[in-house]
Amino acid sequence: MSTTTVQQNAASRQLLHNRTGAPDPSRLAPEDAFFATSPPRRVRQHSPLGLGASSGSSVRGMTEARRQREKERGRSGSRRRKRHWNKLLWFKQPYPDNYTDEETFLDHLQRNPRLQPYEFWSLMADSTVIIQHIASVIIFICCFVAIKEFEVSPVAVVSAGSISTVMGWILWDYWMGREEAAKVQALVEKEVVEDASSASSTSSLKDPQGLGLLIPNGSVSPRLGHSHSASATSITSNVSASSTGQSGSGTQYPPYGDPASSLSSRNKQRLATAKSALLIYCALLGLSPILKSLTDSTTSDSIWAMSSWLMCMNVFFFDYGGGTGAQFPASLSTNAAVMASAVMASRLPSTTHVFSITLFSIEVFGLFPVFRRQLRNSSSAGHRTLTYFLVIAASGGMGVIISNGGAVAAIVGAVLGSVLTFLVMGICCWWLIGLQKYKNEMYGPWDPARPIIRRHWDLTS
Amino acid sequence: MPYNIAMCSDCFFPQPGGVESHIYQLSSKLIDRGHKVVIITHAYDGRTGVRYLTNGIKVYHVPFLVIYRETTFPTVFSFFPIFRNIIIREQIEIVHGHASLSSICHESIIHARTMGLRTVFTDHSLFGFADAASILTNKLLKFTLSDVDHVICVSHTCKENTVLRASLDPLMVSVIPNAVVAENFRPLILPSDDTASPTDPHSRGTPAARRLGPNETITIVVVSRLFYNKGTDLLIAAIPRILASHPNVRFIIAGSGPKAIDLEQMIERNVLQDRVSLLGPARHEEVRDVMVQGHIYLHPSLTEAFGTVIVEAASCGLYVVCTRVGGIPEVLPGHMTEFAKPEEDDIVAATGRAISKLRAGRIPTELFHNQVKQFYSWTDVAQRTERVYDGISGVLPHDEFYPGTGAGAAGWSATRGRAGVQSFALIERLKRYYGCGIWAGKLFCLCVLVDYLLFVFLEVFAPRSRIDLARNWPKKQEEKGLDEVDAGMGVGKESGGIGRKRSARHRDREKRRDV
Repeated sequence: MSTTTVQQNAASRQLLHNRTGAPDPSRLAPEDAFFATSPPRRVRQHSPLGLGASSGSSVRGMTEARRQREKERGRSGSRRRKRHWNKLLWFKQPYPDNYTDEETFLDHLQRNPRLQPYEFWSLMADSTVIIQHIASVIIFICCFVAIKEFEVSPVAVVSAGSISTVMGWILWDYWMGREEAAKVQALVEKEVVEDASSASSTSSLKDPQGLGLLIPNGSVSPRLGHSHSASATSITSNVSASSTGQSGSGTQYPPYGDPASSLSSRNKQRLATAKSALLIYCALLGLSPILKSLTDSTTSDSIWAMSSWLMCMNVFFFDYGGGTGAQFPASLSTNAAVMASAVMASRLPSTTHVFSITLFSIEVFGLFPVFRRQLRNSSSAGHRTLTYFLVIAASGGMGVIISNGGAVAAIVGAVLGSVLTFLVMGICCWWLIGLQKYKNEMYGPWDPARPIIRRHWDLTS
Repeated sequence: MPYNIAMCSDCFFPQPGGVESHIYQLSSKLIDRGHKVVIITHAYDGRTGVRYLTNGIKVYHVPFLVIYRETTFPTVFSFFPIFRNIIIREQIEIVHGHASLSSICHESIIHARTMGLRTVFTDHSLFGFADAASILTNKLLKFTLSDVDHVICVSHTCKENTVLRASLDPLMVSVIPNAVVAENFRPLILPSDDTASPTDPHSRGTPAARRLGPNETITIVVVSRLFYNKGTDLLIAAIPRILASHPNVRFIIAGSGPKAIDLEQMIERNVLQDRVSLLGPARHEEVRDVMVQGHIYLHPSLTEAFGTVIVEAASCGLYVVCTRVGGIPEVLPGHMTEFAKPEEDDIVAATGRAISKLRAGRIPTELFHNQVKQFYSWTDVAQRTERVYDGISGVLPHDEFYPGTGAGAAGWSATRGRAGVQSFALIERLKRYYGCGIWAGKLFCLCVLVDYLLFVFLEVFAPRSRIDLARNWPKKQEEKGLDEVDAGMGVGKESGGIGRKRSARHRDREKRRDV
């Protein structure tokens, strides 16, 4: 071995010594999962391997040795007798290959780092989303049965549905307007601050822009390039476009620069919504004879089985999460529900029936979830009231349908259903909290890192 | 004592990759040390039957259905007859499986245990515990590794991961790193000898020549497949910022993959065509020629068990900027690397640090090649692997191979029969498999029972006496004496003897270049 190696080994030893002296700041220790400010690394009480735990004397011996070693390390690094084991591969250590260092083995393992113990009542509050959806599905089915069996006028059902949809839309529009204004306000403020602080830094970065590569705003997705002023538009228009139901999905709104012109654009938006609603109305009207005869030749048994499965699909694939009205409910779920209603519609006697039930299904499965989501974000009292109302309506409807009875059956059903729903919610939440103790997530340096990328560059370029 | 070893894996040449070259290099070095090695893999297009590679490595290409990315369809039992035939024909004693996603490897280990052979498994990759695919893979790994004699991992992080995934006894797991063939990754200008002084007339690359002026262009090289887990997103985000803040810097990017389009888009959007050159896919032989064009190697990977490529880059004399993930922090010493967190900002900052250090001439990159050559060599890997073989076949005494466990009677060693004493009795094996899980344990036991019955059936209807023994590679006998001398020298004088021989060869090459 040449002299350079020896020198270098000495250097590396020095380096390693420095490294082992203090815990590596850039790596997480298990304590970091629990304490925001991690205390100095403690000496392990017992090894994670259980080695030597069988006999007390060996444990004592080990800790004694460790104390000794630490004392030595404190005094002088060069005077150590045996070199400390290091988690490194590039130099040969005087340990066998299968040596397992008890102090550092699995040091970076984190168990359940992001565990948040569920709280019963908040869990109950969150589960209302599911209850609401199931209740609305049940209400739809009840309406269908009522139309089919009890000869309730389908026009009455769909009119009620449409009126509440329009009311919901007006409310929703009001919320959106408020939200939009707040967002634009915030962005303008932020922009002012940023411009003031980073004028010098951005000016140097604006070089590539000067070459005329600015992309027209309408044609790119919002995560690609946008100039700063236009990004506000893209966000808000995107939100509104996606959450006006089918209405806005195909249309593009011209961008606007300042909050003053937002009113006109929102009016345009409303007009577009009304236009597409009319379009859907007419298309459905034209299509309903076809829908009626589409599955006419299929036996009723198959129809009921198929629609049950489709409804189950709707319930299972529904997007219960969802933040602000940014995304649609999962399209698979909506499609399944609309298909179920189309299939069920073929059992109805007339074209008017078919038209009504299909329109009603679009309102219940397409538009109502958007409204519910927005309501939940806007007012929790409204959300709760809606939940009560839906549960009572659904269970009352069930009572009427099952017993074939009148108002008494409805009241009994409503009371029974509400109590039952509450109990089921409670039991499920309690069960989920009980299952928490089986949770064992393991994270460590072997997991693919989550890259942190700032999109800021993309927006300014 | 020479062993007959069978390396079993789905991954082997002609397919390129790290595991493939690991198997090849390890096998050829083991043959150099006097062992006999055969490789069992599946048939590739236009590559079937039995082949011999350099050095007398015999490769069996077993015909199998390939389902995904050159991985065969797992058919637990159908592989057994032909596997048994090969094992008996080649008189194999140790079965060594590679790569945890290869079904041939897992099946070989199970069948080998049924046949009463010693088994070793080498893990080359890291797996998480969260997603469904990992859970399935981990269960299968647990199945196979319930009854294996020893496991080799390529880094300490990989060892921790494997121990957790397969619930292994950590002493059963050795860490033996990968290596590089330093000869293939020589920098453009190389000091001709290990001990060459900067004033040596042979070396045209004096440190003075390497010191970069403030306006000289620094080239950053990236050689990587452009996949998400290689951190291409980070790269895409970082390149424009690095180029904006450092005027005399350019990038060379080699590699292909699904993220190539994003990379091209980034270049076009920021008009960086003259400062970022994309070379497209690079063969492993060409990697060196790409690397030597640069000064810094940027490796933004998100997960890596070992990261051979950064060792290769350092061997080419490049300063390495890499993310601190997986096994990477263990691989290279601090003076060769600049670590960054897997964050865009930090990568930009680390690259900036690297550039300024390089401009200041504080990085002795011209020494990297010889240092890497001392850190990693396949001869060393083969030597350490041989020690594992010695340990499991009982040549090394139990206490020496498993230090710190007492006389083989410590707590758990009774429940988990250790290698060397790992019993082949069916009931013992079933006990080990049964502990894999409530349902999985029973299923695994069933598999092992069927495997055993199949073995008995084959013993009766295709008796060993009817299987011919293959003749060994004739060269082996002739060179045996020589090899042993060589090996003896290597062991006795560390790598000094070999190093000297290599440097003599270098000198020859240098001379030839001068002529």
